[in-house]
Amino acid sequence: MKNRESIFIRRRLEAVAACLALGIALLAIRAVDLQWLQADRLMNMAEKQRYRQFTVIAPRGAITDAKGRILAESIEVPSIAAIASEIPQKDMKKLARALKMPVARLRQKLDGRKGFVWLARQVSPETAERIMALNVPGVRQETEWRRYQPLGPQTGHLLGFVGVDGRGLEGLEHSLDRRLAGIAGTRLVQRDARGRSLPGGIWLRRPVIGQSVRLTLDASIQSMAYTALADGIRRQNAKGGSVVVIRPQDGAILAMASWPGFNPNNFGKFRPDEWRNRAATDVFEPGSALKPFTVAAALASGKWQPDSRVYCEKGQWHVAGHTIHDDHPEAWLDMPGLLAKSSNIGAAKLALDIGAERMHRMLSEIGLGRRSDIGLSGESPGILPPVQRWGPIETANIAFGQGVAVTPLQLATAFCILANGGLYIHPKLIDGDDSQPVKRVLPEQVARQVMLMLEYATSPEGTGRHAVPAGYRVAGKTGTAQKANANGSYASDRFTAVFAGAVPADHPRLVIVVVVDEPQGSIYGGQVAAPIFRHIAESALPYLGVLPQIKKDAPQWKAMPIVAGTEIPATAGGSLYGLSLREVRRVAAVHGYRLRTHGSGWVVRQSPHTLHNLMAKDVVEVWLDE
Amino acid sequence: MNIRKHFRPWLPMAMLLLTMVAAQIWLSHMRYEVAQSTQRAQQEQQLLVDEINKLRLELASMTRPERLRRLAKSELGMRPPRPLQVIRP
Repeated sequence: MKNRESIFIRRRLEAVAACLALGIALLAIRAVDLQWLQADRLMNMAEKQRYRQFTVIAPRGAITDAKGRILAESIEVPSIAAIASEIPQKDMKKLARALKMPVARLRQKLDGRKGFVWLARQVSPETAERIMALNVPGVRQETEWRRYQPLGPQTGHLLGFVGVDGRGLEGLEHSLDRRLAGIAGTRLVQRDARGRSLPGGIWLRRPVIGQSVRLTLDASIQSMAYTALADGIRRQNAKGGSVVVIRPQDGAILAMASWPGFNPNNFGKFRPDEWRNRAATDVFEPGSALKPFTVAAALASGKWQPDSRVYCEKGQWHVAGHTIHDDHPEAWLDMPGLLAKSSNIGAAKLALDIGAERMHRMLSEIGLGRRSDIGLSGESPGILPPVQRWGPIETANIAFGQGVAVTPLQLATAFCILANGGLYIHPKLIDGDDSQPVKRVLPEQVARQVMLMLEYATSPEGTGRHAVPAGYRVAGKTGTAQKANANGSYASDRFTAVFAGAVPADHPRLVIVVVVDEPQGSIYGGQVAAPIFRHIAESALPYLGVLPQIKKDAPQWKAMPIVAGTEIPATAGGSLYGLSLREVRRVAAVHGYRLRTHGSGWVVRQSPHTLHNLMAKDVVEVWLDE
Repeated sequence: MNIRKHFRPWLPMAMLLLTMVAAQIWLSHMRYEVAQSTQRAQQEQQLLVDEINKLRLELASMTRPERLRRLAKSELGMRPPRPLQVIRP
């Protein structure tokens, strides 16, 4: 009995031991499975639980004007996303209603997808709050950066815009994208059981914060220019237009505006052709606005003097089988008269006399035919044909601004040379960009002489009289050019009206170029573009601290010392007797007399007999011997 | 007595070890707490930076020249100055 009991106990112990052994064996097998066979996979899973990669967003840099006013800034805005497979069908209707989109469209977004889907990007915080309050499974809120430009259409063409992915697509946002855009960083951190980060994370890639860019632009002047342009274009019912305002002393671009405008904060609602910055991308034939440089080239050649006269053929001249016309037929004109009356024939004769080489060199040196590279994408180099293609007709046409094409920016840069006493200063849009050297393009005296002539062109006798604001002196030139047809001929009913000038004339603080495309009222630069110039100048100059000079007892426009730097002939006892016509003109110009002449050769008679008691603007009449 | 005598040299060592373990645990906890507060401060800083950006943008929008010009004309009845009215800009 006792023996049987002990056998039973032994068997029981053996059974338990066997079970334990089996259990240990199973555990060992499982341990081998976990520690060796599945080690890599499980290690990965554990690390994924313990470690997490965070993307650290680097915001896009701001764009400011010269005074630090914000022109473009990025702010965080909510976006709504979803894991497509997790959204229950029953919630589709209310989700679509909250997203303000048809249910069919929402289904279209989600159907056939399992993972991440954007439902609505860059929505208002209120909309995001409303959607998240629905508590729909699978719907989540993400954060994105949105670009805002507070000045909207006024800076739209210049700054361009940024897409929803944060990349610059147009304008400065595009051309300066590498500088403005930040590069997101990635950080690896260890998490605790509750998912909170533990100290000691490491950077897999450090974020690079987008740099801010300070422009030379002045938001106030930009606004004045845009408003004046918009008013002028509406008044003329024109197709479009652009304005460039430059400070000639350092080439700083203070304003660059185009019309029609578009709102960069909502660029999708505008046509792509409305996005372009006309001031830098559109070219036009400058017409008469190029004549000051023809005159400058003639003066710089030494063959012509400010008081030299050109016979303007009474308005019609045949050259190489081609007829050139003047709007204001004249016989003899001196250089100031040529610019004031805007004679095509006079300009053509000057260019043909000094030769194509000299003209081409002048136009090339003032920046025509090449991009100014101020940091704008899509800038046009304009058109300046190679000198080998310049025959007599081409040379004559180019002298009065036909056959070449410029951008408003190029024309403004060229006028800065005259305003700077002949120095070419590279235009700049980004503050502190002074890498380009200053070079002399014209002798200082020639530039001063042309400026004085341009002041005469805005006198009551000149074509640019509507450009002069009360109390200021303007040195500028009008231009009216026919637009080219697709077949290369000139359209008879489509024109570009231009005014380019510097103000105040004696010490220019601003160079302004106004271009109006296809005006429907008047077609002339003096009547279309010049008033816009005046509007901008009379607003911007007081803002810059340049006061108007009003003298109630004196004429607004002073006599022009056209022979500055040349010898003034002696007038013994106030008599002009025996002087040549050129010498008489010098005397008259220096003293501001109005001159009437009869004949040519040498003075044999004058009225009045003596100049002693004459004042500026008095009339002197002379008779010559031939 | 013998046992106490036998363990006496090891006792300070054990105490030191225990203290070090306790200090290590306390330091880990402190490190954890500091990390949490740093994270909160960074989030707060980010929120403040965002707020500053929004306010800068709002300021730029409120003071844009075109809006000031419109308000000066419509609300205050102002006009652009005539040349002689500008004494000191």
